Amino acid sequence: MSADNEQARAQLIDLAAQFYDQFELGEIPHMSVPTRTKNNIEYDEEMDVWVYGDRESTRSANSVRGARKLLKAVYTIEFLADQLEEDRSSTLRELYYLSESWDNKEAQFNDQDESNGLIEDLEIVSGVTREDFHMRPEESGATLMGPLHLREQTRRGEREIHCQEDVGEGGYQIPNNPDTIEFLGTDADFILAVETGGMRDRLVENGFDEEYNALIVHLKGQPARATRRITKRLHNELDLPVTVFADGDPWSYRIYGSVAYGSIKSAHLSEYLATPEAKYIGIQPADIVEYDLPTDPLSDSDINALESELEDPRFQTEYWEEQIELQLEIEKKSEQQSLASHGLDFVTDTYLPERLDAMGII
Amino acid sequence: MTSFQSTLGEESGIAEELAESQQAISIAEFFEKNKHMLGFDSGARGLVTAVKEAVDNALDAAEEAGILPDIYVEIQEEGDYYRLIVEDNGPGLTKESLPKVFGKLLYGSRFHAREQSRGQQGIGISAAVLYSQLTSGKPAKITSRTEGTSEAQYFELIVDTDDNEPEISVEETTTWDRPHGTRIELEMEANMRARQQLHNYIKHTAVVNPHARLELREPKAHFKFERATDQLPEETEEIRPHPHGVELGTVIKMLAATDSQTVSGFLQEEFTRVGKKTAESVIDAFRDRHYGREMRWRPPASHESVDLDAAVTDATANKGADATAAFAGAIEDEVADTDRIAHYELRDVVDSAADDVEDEHGTTFGDTVRENAIDAVWLELIDAVPADDDETDDPAADDAIESESRLVADLYDLADDATSTRKDDEVIQAFAVRLAGTFEDETEDDPRHRLTHETLREYVDRAAELTEEYDDVAFGDTARENVVEAIWGVMATVPDDPPLVRELEGDRDATSDLVDGMRATDIMAPPTRCLSPISDDLIQAGLEKEFDAEFYSSATRDAEVHGGDPFVVEAGIAYGGELPAEGSANVMRFANRVPLVYQRGACATTDVVKSIGWRNYGLDQPGGSGLPNGPVVIMIHVASTNVPFTSESKDAVANVPEIEDEIELAIREAARDLKSFLNKRRSMQKRRKKQNVLGTILPEMATKVAEVTGRDEPDIDDAIARIMNNVLVERELEQNGDGQAVSVVVENNSSTNKTLEITDIVSAEPAGLSDGATVVEMDGEWFIKWEADVSSGDDAVLKYEVADDASFDLDVKGVETEKLTVKQ
Repeated sequence: MSADNEQARAQLIDLAAQFYDQFELGEIPHMSVPTRTKNNIEYDEEMDVWVYGDRESTRSANSVRGARKLLKAVYTIEFLADQLEEDRSSTLRELYYLSESWDNKEAQFNDQDESNGLIEDLEIVSGVTREDFHMRPEESGATLMGPLHLREQTRRGEREIHCQEDVGEGGYQIPNNPDTIEFLGTDADFILAVETGGMRDRLVENGFDEEYNALIVHLKGQPARATRRITKRLHNELDLPVTVFADGDPWSYRIYGSVAYGSIKSAHLSEYLATPEAKYIGIQPADIVEYDLPTDPLSDSDINALESELEDPRFQTEYWEEQIELQLEIEKKSEQQSLASHGLDFVTDTYLPERLDAMGII
Repeated sequence: MTSFQSTLGEESGIAEELAESQQAISIAEFFEKNKHMLGFDSGARGLVTAVKEAVDNALDAAEEAGILPDIYVEIQEEGDYYRLIVEDNGPGLTKESLPKVFGKLLYGSRFHAREQSRGQQGIGISAAVLYSQLTSGKPAKITSRTEGTSEAQYFELIVDTDDNEPEISVEETTTWDRPHGTRIELEMEANMRARQQLHNYIKHTAVVNPHARLELREPKAHFKFERATDQLPEETEEIRPHPHGVELGTVIKMLAATDSQTVSGFLQEEFTRVGKKTAESVIDAFRDRHYGREMRWRPPASHESVDLDAAVTDATANKGADATAAFAGAIEDEVADTDRIAHYELRDVVDSAADDVEDEHGTTFGDTVRENAIDAVWLELIDAVPADDDETDDPAADDAIESESRLVADLYDLADDATSTRKDDEVIQAFAVRLAGTFEDETEDDPRHRLTHETLREYVDRAAELTEEYDDVAFGDTARENVVEAIWGVMATVPDDPPLVRELEGDRDATSDLVDGMRATDIMAPPTRCLSPISDDLIQAGLEKEFDAEFYSSATRDAEVHGGDPFVVEAGIAYGGELPAEGSANVMRFANRVPLVYQRGACATTDVVKSIGWRNYGLDQPGGSGLPNGPVVIMIHVASTNVPFTSESKDAVANVPEIEDEIELAIREAARDLKSFLNKRRSMQKRRKKQNVLGTILPEMATKVAEVTGRDEPDIDDAIARIMNNVLVERELEQNGDGQAVSVVVENNSSTNKTLEITDIVSAEPAGLSDGATVVEMDGEWFIKWEADVSSGDDAVLKYEVADDASFDLDVKGVETEKLTVKQ
C-alpha cells in the first residue's frame, strides 16, 4: 500500500473508531457535517473562494433514519478501507450496486444520490478527497486541446503528451485524478473553457486554439471535479488567465459559478477546485441585445433560477446583478450556437476576439 | 272533495245527516287500525315489539318491588303462528288490576308520574294483547301470583275494542312454581325475520341492566345473560311538576284542583323547586305582566322651579299652619331623597308624612287630604299641572309646555344613555319630546303611568316612528329595544295583591300571565332523584360483560332540564379486542334503560354520533362525517321523566336541542379517554417499532465498527436507552475486599419525571444499604425495596454491599416496559 493510501485508510478507520468510542461512552453515535445548502456557504477572504459556513447537520442514530445512515456509513468505510488496501478503485455507481451484495439489507443504498451523498459526507468528515478514496465518477473528465505539453502518470507507466500535436481532433482526455499530471511547458496565452461540445468542435475546426494560442477545455455541462481541478492547476502553475464561454441562461451562469467559486456540493474542496480569477465571456444578456441574437423566451423555471441566483452569495457582485436583472427585464435567453445566425465564422472572427479584447485577455 | 258549503241552506237536512254518521271511537279501535304507531306494523316487527313491551313491564315491576329481575323469554313455533311467553319474578298483580293492565289501553300507573320508568303511557303490553288477538284470534293467557299467596290467578282475556275494556273468557286459580311473578302467553302471526333485532334488544337490555338476569329460548337457540351486579338501580322518587315545564291548560286544571287559597301557596304546594322566595319572584313577574309597572320619575332638582311644598300647602286646607307646613315639608324632603319615585311610592311617602304629623300635632289627616296631597305632588312631578289661565287649547302654550316638560328631560337622559353615541342630540331630544307626549296622553287615562312591557314598547315604537318620519333619521330596532329596557329598568313593580286562586281559576288571561311569569323566572333545575341513571361504573361493567374489547370508557353527565323534565345523558365506548374491525361502529341507543332497536336513522342520538368529527378522536371516519369505522361500540343512554320520542312506538329520540347538546358532551367525554388510549397505543407502537428497528441496526453497526477497527464489540445498551429516551436501570459491581459493592444506577433519559419501584432480589444478606432502601428476608432471599424519584435527565443510585458469590434479580415497576431498559 502506498503512503497516500495508508494515510487515507487510517483517516477512515479513525472515523469508525469514533463511532466505537461513542458506543462505549454510552453516547448516541453521531457525526456532524456542514450543511450543504446555499444558505451555508460563505466567502473565505484568505483563500478567495466560497466555503461552508458554521451550520452543521448531525447524522445521529437517534432516529431510525439516522441509524440507517450511520450503519451505511460504517459499511462504506469498510468497503473503502478494503479498496485502499488492495489499491483498487471504483466508480460512484459501482459503489451503489456493490451495496446490493452486502449481507445486511439495512445497509444497502436506496438510490445513487444516497451513496453519492454519503461519499461527500465521508470526504468532509475525514478530510480525504474522493479521489484519494479511489472513487471516481462514471464519466471521466472532459477533454482539453491546445499548446500544452504534459506528463501523465498512468497505471501503465508515464506518458508524455502534447495536447495539440499528439492528440486527435477529440483532444486530450483529462484523467480522473489530474494530480497525476505534471506540466512540462506551454505556449498558451489563456484558457477558454467551453460549455457545449458543439461549440468546442466549432472552435477546434476553425483553428481558434492555434490562431489565438488558446487552451480549449471542454466543460461538458456542469464540469466534473477533474476538469475544475486541472483548470485550477493550469491557472496556478502556468499563470494562465481563465475564461468561461457558455450559453446565455441561468444554468450556464451556475457552470461559470462552479468553475470560479466552487459548487455548493463540494464547497469543502473549493480551495482545491475553484479558480476565483476565472472570467465570464458570455453569452451575456448584454450580448443578446448588442449582437441581436436569436432568442428563446425565459421559462418559469429559468426565472426562478435567475431569482435564486440573485440571492446566491456567489453571484452577489455588481457585474452579475446587472446582467441577471437585465435578463429578467428582456425575458430572453440565447445559446452559444445562436451566434451562427451571423455565419459559422462569426464566433471565432468577431465575437470572441471582441469579447476577449474587451476583457483585456488579448 | 265536494263542497257542502254551497248547498247549505238549500237542504237543511245535510248537517244532521252528516252528524248521524259521526261517532266517538275508542282508543282501542283507533290503534287497531293504526298498529304501526305502536310498533306492530309487520309480523317480524310485531314479535320484537311484543317481547320488548313484556320485558320492559317485567323489569319495571321487579325493580319497583326491589327485586333483582329474573326474566325468561320463550318463543315457540306453533304452525303458522308463534307463541311468545314472558315470565318474570316481579311482585305479581292483584286479581282486580290484572285484567285492566293487560286488557285496557292507556291503563297504567306511570302516565301521571314525573319519575323515570320504562313504560309511560300504559299502551305497550295491552297493545301486544290487541295485536295477538287480531292476528291469531286467541286470547292472552296470563298467570300471576303475588307474594304470600298459595295460589296463582289465571286469566284468559282479550281487549274489547268497542269500549277499550278487558273481556275475560277464563278466570280461575291455578298453581305455579314461582313464589311470585307474572307470566304472559301470547299467540300471534309473526316470523323470525327480525331475529337480529330481537337479539340486539335482549343483549342491549343486558348491557344497561347489569342487575338483571335474562334468558331467551328460541326454537333453535338458547341464550343466557347473567347478572354483573347485585345492586339494584337506585329507587326513583316521583316529583311535582317544574314551573318551566307546564302548559297553560295544565295550570288551569291544577288551579281547579288545588287546596291553596293564594297564588303563592299554590306555587309552593304544587310545583317542585318553588319556595317562598321563588314564589314571590314568580308573583312579581306576574304583576309586571298583569298590572304593568309604574313609571318612576326623578324628583325635582334644586334648580328646577318646582315647589312641592307650595303644591302641598295649596292642596291642604284647614289643617292649621304648623301642621300643614310640617306635612308639606316632610313630603318635599322625602321625595327629594329618592332617586326616582313612582306613584305608589309617593302614596307611601304621603301616608307616612301624614301619620307622623298626626302624631305630632294631633290633627287628623283624612283620606281626602292625603289624596289631594298625592295628586298635587304627582301632577307637579309629571309636569301636568293645569295652566292657571285655562288656555290649554292654545297650541302655542301646549308647545311651550312640551318642550319644557320635566318628563322630556328625564326621558332624554334615559334615551341618551341607552342609544349609541352616534345619534345626534337633536334626534334624541325630538324622540324624548314625542315619548313624553305619549306619557302625557296616558296621564288622562291613568296618571299613575302604569304600563306593561308591551305597552311601553308600543310607546317607544310610536315615538321612534314619528322621529324617523319627521326628522328623517334611522331609529332602529336595537336602539328601540335599548330604550325600552332602560325605561323598563327604572320602572317599579307594583305592590298590588295578586288575585286569589279562585279568582284566577276563571280568568284565562290572568292565568296565562302567571304561566308567562313562571317561565320568565329563574328557577333551580328540578331535582334528579326522580332519575335513575345507570352510572358510569355500571355502564362500563355492562359493556365489559357483553363485549370483549380492549378498552372501555364511559361518562355520566349532570342532570339538565328540558321543558320542565329533568334528564341525564350517559355514554359509553368499547374499542378493539374481539369487536369486528370491519364496517362502521355499533351504536347502541337507550332511553330509560330500554334499548331502541328500530329507526336508528331517525334518532337524535345517531344524528349526534354522525355529527362528531371522530378523526379527532383517532377513529377512521370516511369523508370526515357519519358513523366512524372500526372495532367500536358507542352506547348512549337518555334517562328522563319524559323522554321525547318521535312516535308512540318509542323507537327514536326526537331532536331536542338541549338533549342533543348533552348527548354530544357525554359522547365527547367518553371519546376523550378513547383518544388518549389510542394515542398512547399508537405512540407505544411507534416506540416498539423504533426499538425493534434500532434493536437490529445498532448491534449490526457495533459489530461492523468492531470489525473495521479490529477491537472487541462495544457495549451499546446505554446508547440505546438514551436513543429511546428510556429509563435505564443498570447494575455496576465493584470488588471490595471479601465482598462486592453494588450500585444500581437509574438514569432517566425521558422528558418527564419518573417514580420507580425497584426490587432487587439478592441471594445473600446485603449490608450498608443507601438511604431510603429497605430489605426483607423471605426463604433465604433478600428483597431490597427502593423507591426512586428521578427527574428528567437525572440519575439516582442505590448502593449496598454483599458477598462475592451473591446472585441478583432486578424487578422494576413504575415505567412502561417500552420505556425501560434494564441491565442486570
